[in-house]
Amino acid sequence: MLKYVASKAFESLALMVGVLVLVFFLVRLTGDPVALMVPKDAPDSQREAFAINMGLDRPVIEQFLLYVGDVVRGDLGDSLRQRRPAVDIIFERLWPTVQLALGALAFAVVLAIPLGLAAGMEPNGTWDKIARTVGLAGQTIPSYWLGMLLIVFFAVELRWLPSFGRDTAASLILPAVSLGFSGLGQLVRLTRSTVLEVRRSDYLRTARAKGVATTHLAFRHVLPNVAIPLISVLGIQFTYLLGGSVYIESVFAWPGMGTLLESAVRDTDFPLVQAITVFIAFVAISVHLLTDLLYGLLDPRLRIA
Amino acid sequence: MISRLGRFAVLLVASLLTLAVAQDNVLVVSLSSDPTSLYLPRAADRTASNASHTLYDTLMFINESSELEPRLATAWEIGEDGLTYTFTLRQGVTFHNGEPFTADDVVATWEFGSDASNDYPGDYTAASSVEALDDYTVRITTAEPNALFLTTLAQDWAIIPGDYMREVGIDGFVQAPVGTGPFRFVSRTAGERIVMEANTEYWEPSLPYLDGIEFRVIPDPSTRVAAVQTGAVHIANRLTPELAQSLEGEDGVEVLTYLNDRVYYVAFKNVGAGVGTPLEDPRVRQALNYGTDRYGIIQAIFSGFANAAPGFVLEGNLGYDQALMEAFPYDPEKARSLLAEAGYADGFEIEMGCPADGYVNINEVCQAVAQSLSAIGVDVEVDFQTTNTYWSEPQYAVTGPMFVDSWSSDVAEALPRLQGALIPGAYYNAWEDVEFESRINAINTTVDRSDRAAQYQELHALMRDNPPFIYLYQPVIFEAVSSKVEGYQPLAAEEYFLRSVRIVD
Repeated sequence: MLKYVASKAFESLALMVGVLVLVFFLVRLTGDPVALMVPKDAPDSQREAFAINMGLDRPVIEQFLLYVGDVVRGDLGDSLRQRRPAVDIIFERLWPTVQLALGALAFAVVLAIPLGLAAGMEPNGTWDKIARTVGLAGQTIPSYWLGMLLIVFFAVELRWLPSFGRDTAASLILPAVSLGFSGLGQLVRLTRSTVLEVRRSDYLRTARAKGVATTHLAFRHVLPNVAIPLISVLGIQFTYLLGGSVYIESVFAWPGMGTLLESAVRDTDFPLVQAITVFIAFVAISVHLLTDLLYGLLDPRLRIA
Repeated sequence: MISRLGRFAVLLVASLLTLAVAQDNVLVVSLSSDPTSLYLPRAADRTASNASHTLYDTLMFINESSELEPRLATAWEIGEDGLTYTFTLRQGVTFHNGEPFTADDVVATWEFGSDASNDYPGDYTAASSVEALDDYTVRITTAEPNALFLTTLAQDWAIIPGDYMREVGIDGFVQAPVGTGPFRFVSRTAGERIVMEANTEYWEPSLPYLDGIEFRVIPDPSTRVAAVQTGAVHIANRLTPELAQSLEGEDGVEVLTYLNDRVYYVAFKNVGAGVGTPLEDPRVRQALNYGTDRYGIIQAIFSGFANAAPGFVLEGNLGYDQALMEAFPYDPEKARSLLAEAGYADGFEIEMGCPADGYVNINEVCQAVAQSLSAIGVDVEVDFQTTNTYWSEPQYAVTGPMFVDSWSSDVAEALPRLQGALIPGAYYNAWEDVEFESRINAINTTVDRSDRAAQYQELHALMRDNPPFIYLYQPVIFEAVSSKVEGYQPLAAEEYFLRSVRIVD
């Protein structure tokens, strides 16, 4: 078990360093930030002072090594526009995004598992047909478009829900549904196929032969076995939601990291873009590590192998 | 049991579903992005100045007729030499924190505004000294006669309280800004909202009419529109023509249109890649102006919502005269004959740079220009570049002999764009002409407004006979406003002045 944990931890660290390299160099390949952070009519002296102030006059390798040292110490740089530490800005906007991702995940899970279960237990039945339609819709409908449609229908036409913002508890509903919808589709399909697979297994045939009732079968034998592959998918889903939230937060004016990233990119505030990307990558890698470890804990077969 | 549960459920749901409808007499304004700062020298983005103007007053105000109105200054005088400005200040004004307004605060505004840690100290360093002659008289001096100085004062010198600023420093001030304006700062949530309440001690006793203002950040334009439709916000700006048109006939929402002080053009180079090209001949450049169907572009790409640009002096600018300034007509015959005269009867090939996605519909505009010119025998190859690259080098070194761009002005005059584009040595200059340069410099030191107006008109005529640009269009801006709002009229530079807005039912 220890070897398992150690190897996963090492993998995660290597991934993290790779991300730092990629982010650092990519952002610098896209052009000259000075021209974009300073107004068109600014004198050359102001541009130069600006470049020196931001450390853009040093060789690139030196800039990178300094950067890694800072990251390890928790310093992700200062936002060019807001002139304060990027980490502070990130933590101000972190909770709304986590809230949105959790809400989307909850929406997806609460609907996907029962639906997938019902579908798998009775292939080609009504529930199965519904599940397959939902699965298809989730894969094909873009979340951004769905969000705008939901606003027009539920906010403007019906006036049931708010059209934007994070004012009341009800404000979470439309953004969470828009964000979680594709996850819902994916989870339904996964749950359904896992259920089908489990149903073909020996231990289930034995249980059925023993005369165990179907509902009992579903909850005590099928579901626990479905849960394990689901956990790793949920981990991936969560990080995907963190990234996908950029569109949804933009559409719903949800004040989270998505809108922060969007405005940082627009302002070519590259330290902030770098900081957010690194942070999200860090969260993603950590969640992956966690689900890998959880997976290892839950499934004894993995630990032995 | 069930009915009690049912009632509880209904109450719970009802409380959760309290919709964000704007409260009475608090104006809710949507912003397309979060202002970086409410302290003006640290932010030049339009959204920041929109939000801040409600907190502060300046010494004077420029109204829609381009006249100066008194605000914190009741009278002013410009010295003979055009270098000294003496202001008589309004008495009995207090800042939001109770500090009385005196000449010392104007001095402090200048000192702190010029601080090197600010993004845009240039607005303040334009003055070489600010002296309080007594509590209610202040003298401001510029090193050289500066045509736009009064405009800068009127637009940018948001007067701040000296004592408070010295106490908390700029960083402290940014957290809790204080001014003399019709509204005072209450709170701010990053990326989400800014809350202000009415300043009941405002020096104009009848104002403001509102009890408060809330600025909400809503990046997506269609969501802004939805928010106006549901009544959650009163004002939505930065809308596309399509979105604005979708609101035609909608109850409770009005669409405002006004001209943006921004000109879109194709620029010619007579430096770098422009040397040795057919563009050196003014007849060729005139031909290109006659041969570009700017009207067709406006119709097809902007559904008619733009003005054909007459030159760099636009409608609403000082010196604009509709009779004297007409856009080039679309005349391909004339274009061809001019080309023939210049020795290019068979046309020629040329490259044109385009900042991909840099502006609304600019990609289509570039292609339309190329298409237009091909009809008169000029074969234009459009070279799309990302905006990062496009503006990354001085004199547009990354593009060929022609390139598309635009330039706005927020001083209700064409001077900033004339200087930016036509003064040799300026970062974005790609056309050098001694006559233009000397005239622009003359305008820059002419303090008298009507004198300047005449000079703009003269320069315009020259820039038409010897055009450094193909003048394209001046766009229209759309905003959606709730019908309950009265007294709201933004100016061409997209500035909001909300002091006399009211909400009626």
